[in-house]
Amino acid sequence: MNKSRPIYAPFQFDPSGARHLLVTDQPDPPADLNTNVQTLTARTHTADAILAFLPPHLATQTTGLRLYAIGSEAFVWDVNAIALAAGMGAGEVHLTRAGPLIRRVYCTHCQTMADDVATTITQCPGCGATLEVRDHFSRHHRAFMGVQVDAEAPGEIPAPEGFRS
Amino acid sequence: MDLNLKPAETFRGNFSAQNSEAAIRRFPFPFPDDLYMYSVNMEPHERGGPTAAYDAIFDLDEHYLGECADRAQVLADDPKRCQVMPHLIDAEWDTLELLMESLATDYPAQFTLTRNGDAWHWINRPLALDQRFTFGDAASLPCPPFEYITRQVQGDFTLQDQRDNDLFIEGGMVTSQADWSLNFDAGMSFRQWHGPVPLAHEAGVFDRALAYLLRLQLGKPVRRLNWTLTVNPRLDTSPENYPKWGPDRTTVTPENVGHKLCLRVELQTLTRLPRSNGILFGIRCYLIRLEELVRVEKWARRLHRVLRDLHPDLAAYKGMPRYRPIIVDYLAAFDDGAPTSPGTGPD
Repeated sequence: MNKSRPIYAPFQFDPSGARHLLVTDQPDPPADLNTNVQTLTARTHTADAILAFLPPHLATQTTGLRLYAIGSEAFVWDVNAIALAAGMGAGEVHLTRAGPLIRRVYCTHCQTMADDVATTITQCPGCGATLEVRDHFSRHHRAFMGVQVDAEAPGEIPAPEGFRS
Repeated sequence: MDLNLKPAETFRGNFSAQNSEAAIRRFPFPFPDDLYMYSVNMEPHERGGPTAAYDAIFDLDEHYLGECADRAQVLADDPKRCQVMPHLIDAEWDTLELLMESLATDYPAQFTLTRNGDAWHWINRPLALDQRFTFGDAASLPCPPFEYITRQVQGDFTLQDQRDNDLFIEGGMVTSQADWSLNFDAGMSFRQWHGPVPLAHEAGVFDRALAYLLRLQLGKPVRRLNWTLTVNPRLDTSPENYPKWGPDRTTVTPENVGHKLCLRVELQTLTRLPRSNGILFGIRCYLIRLEELVRVEKWARRLHRVLRDLHPDLAAYKGMPRYRPIIVDYLAAFDDGAPTSPGTGPD
């Protein structure tokens, strides 16, 4: 049990909202979506384009908006950070993790971020260290902690595995 | 209070740091029993305790000059080891006031604080500092108030903001930590920053500790002890610098274990701050080589039993797997099986 790891509720329509915007880095939104929900999906927009669209769009919004983010952990927390910066509250933003089990990793040694990491052992693109991805997540950095795995005995590196969650 | 400062020793490189006989006797040995398990072991932080390390509100000892120099070096290499989020400016001034008042009260020969309204005058004789400044005006100090004062005190400090029935770590001076990163953990809630600790979540330790700390009262600080093991008396065992200190763990042999292996104890204090309603968390680190510790027979017997019987998950978390048998064998020679006396103080 690791308490820095967020627990995500399955996607659910929030009827307390007056307007609804759903963004996802996956090709398709959830099935049987309420027709009142506007959607931006990976079929029409890249994740970067969605993240660039949100700040000016949210600046025009008044209370009553519900924002749903569905996708990789890095994507949904990027959306969350944008929403908080736009003044939205915790109950107005809903995050759901979906898609492949990939992580954004922060290198503790050189502070470089690596996106789309799929295995427990990975090479830092900044300093080249072989990192172990610890199960420790920062909402502030929107990333998992990466620490050199063979610092004690160089070359002593466990076999990489896929993430289980 | 007596305070005899040694010339600056090193906590890196040639590791010249050693404990005098007096420093050994005042060490805050952390084990009240022969068996260790997690608990919310908090008690009121009042002057006085099992050893002289508890006599001051913020304890200084013979290593003061060396530790301040080591902190300055860490900050020169990595300025992010000290960071405070801007909304905690009141907590910065709270910290400066608390530390200056405490040091001037406990160590009047070394520190003097004179207050005349907002016009303050601080004298730190060991570091040869004489600073006049305006309380509340950060521009009147050479660096931000939290950094200014924590550069002059032994031990790490973090600032916790209290809101939404939780605590958030949003500032700190962290240069002598046991393998956790302020820069990574900044902004986390209480349960989040303790995420990596094994077993304790399941035991409900953090839920009880958080409930206790949310009710922490002004003027009633509390303390607890924590411990781990460190190879060489190295203060900066940060994840950032793991490539520098990790290799030390492969150098422990039956011949050098007594000299190289250190018991690392944190005397942790928690104080409610008056203006910000935040909490100042002090993490005062003490390092003692095993060959120093075994001069107190009771401590040698008890440490042997604690480490021999430690849960494997805890031993792994504390970085022991590579050398645990070497330590246990070394300490076994000092354990004749005699009962140990109650309490943590030396006999």
